[in-house]
Amino acid sequence: MNATYSFSTKARMRVAASALAALVLAGCAYNPPKPWEKGNLSKPEMTMAGDPLDQRFVEHIYSSKENASGGAGVGGGGCGCN
Amino acid sequence: MAATKKPTKYGSIAAAALALPGVVLHAENAPESGEVALKYLHYNDSQPGLDRITVSSPSIYLLLPISPRWSLEGTAVSDAVSGATPRYHTAISGASRHMSDERHAVDVKVTRYQERASFSLGVSRSDEHDYTSNALSFAVTIASDDNNRTWNLGVGTSSDSIGSTNDANLHESRKTTEVMVGVTQAVTANDLVQGNVTVSNGSGYYSDPYKEPDVRPNKRGHVIGLLRWNHHFSELGASLRTSYRYYHDTFGISAHTISTEWVQPITPRLSVTPSLRLYSQSAATFYFDPIYDKNVGAPYPPNYFSNPPTYISPDQRLSAFGAVTGGIKFVLQADANWRADLKVEHYVQQSNWRIGGSGSVGLDNFYANFIQLGLSRRF
Repeated sequence: MNATYSFSTKARMRVAASALAALVLAGCAYNPPKPWEKGNLSKPEMTMAGDPLDQRFVEHIYSSKENASGGAGVGGGGCGCN
Repeated sequence: MAATKKPTKYGSIAAAALALPGVVLHAENAPESGEVALKYLHYNDSQPGLDRITVSSPSIYLLLPISPRWSLEGTAVSDAVSGATPRYHTAISGASRHMSDERHAVDVKVTRYQERASFSLGVSRSDEHDYTSNALSFAVTIASDDNNRTWNLGVGTSSDSIGSTNDANLHESRKTTEVMVGVTQAVTANDLVQGNVTVSNGSGYYSDPYKEPDVRPNKRGHVIGLLRWNHHFSELGASLRTSYRYYHDTFGISAHTISTEWVQPITPRLSVTPSLRLYSQSAATFYFDPIYDKNVGAPYPPNYFSNPPTYISPDQRLSAFGAVTGGIKFVLQADANWRADLKVEHYVQQSNWRIGGSGSVGLDNFYANFIQLGLSRRF
């Protein structure tokens, strides 16, 4: 039960791989839209933000039942949830 | 606002959404209209032989454009929590007595919009009888000249006070700081991609006063990589929302989360969204399996008293497991201003569903249901 209290090289590599994958994905079919082509991207379901109350509920539930949480933004506090 | 080349039958509803917050292509302008939304959540969870926690939770969201350069956003939520949870692992005989509690939380964010940037300052507070959390955050978005790329930077800090109904003398605290850097890119007219990296460091009290035996390190950090990709299928009028998150922390836990949602309009006013979420985590280095000392018995592991470990926890949430959530959401856009939604989800957590390794042994499965009912109006 000896704990390790620093990030492993493996963890750093995985995050770097995620960032690289994002760049590769973005580069695969990179054809950014002109201003008059942004109608579909402006649909509410295409935004990253989504339904604010829905997201808060879901994040709160998962953070109280699983270990991992966060990643989409900053500013949330903790809770004493069981 | 961006003009569409060819308006669709959903054009009026899409146009109504242009003023919503978070629309990356309009980061430099405050929303043109406000919104008020109400939502009610019912949550209950269980394991075989034990109904655990039930939560009833009404909430309200308000978005208020103050001027073309300023907006104010806030939420308030009140949770009524009742039930019982195991004090160690999933042992029903060791479950806490029936408890009830209330949590009240508010957050407020003010945003200033510049030519190609926005600056947001947010505060939040959450109060329970044995836990208080205060948080402060600052976020910046910077858009490219063509508005197809937005850089997202954020820094947040929180300060928590922890007590316990089991120990009136427990007055502990914890401070956390996190930094996030990300980018959102319109890759094509139908593809939006986002990548974020978040790093967090905290110090203070991380043990759970309601678990026994539970002693955790007084420092914790995590690193998160998040990828999100939204794709719109023009021929179907549907949108696919996907994300992958990698999480690793200094407790030794690594976790993977994959989620997908398919937003399918059924009529010009009604859409249905089935969703699937997969989650998997490894165990904390100091989590111990439910194998107890032969002489002393539960909840103590073998040799606990003769050779006590520095850190130890029997918390199921620190074990190795996998989880699946299936859900469906219906959204009725009654007109350009009124919207109603209903979302139902079922969650199952199971040790042997861990991906890429074996799960923790000797734990019961965990089940949860979430139901959300919402109503909102733009003004």
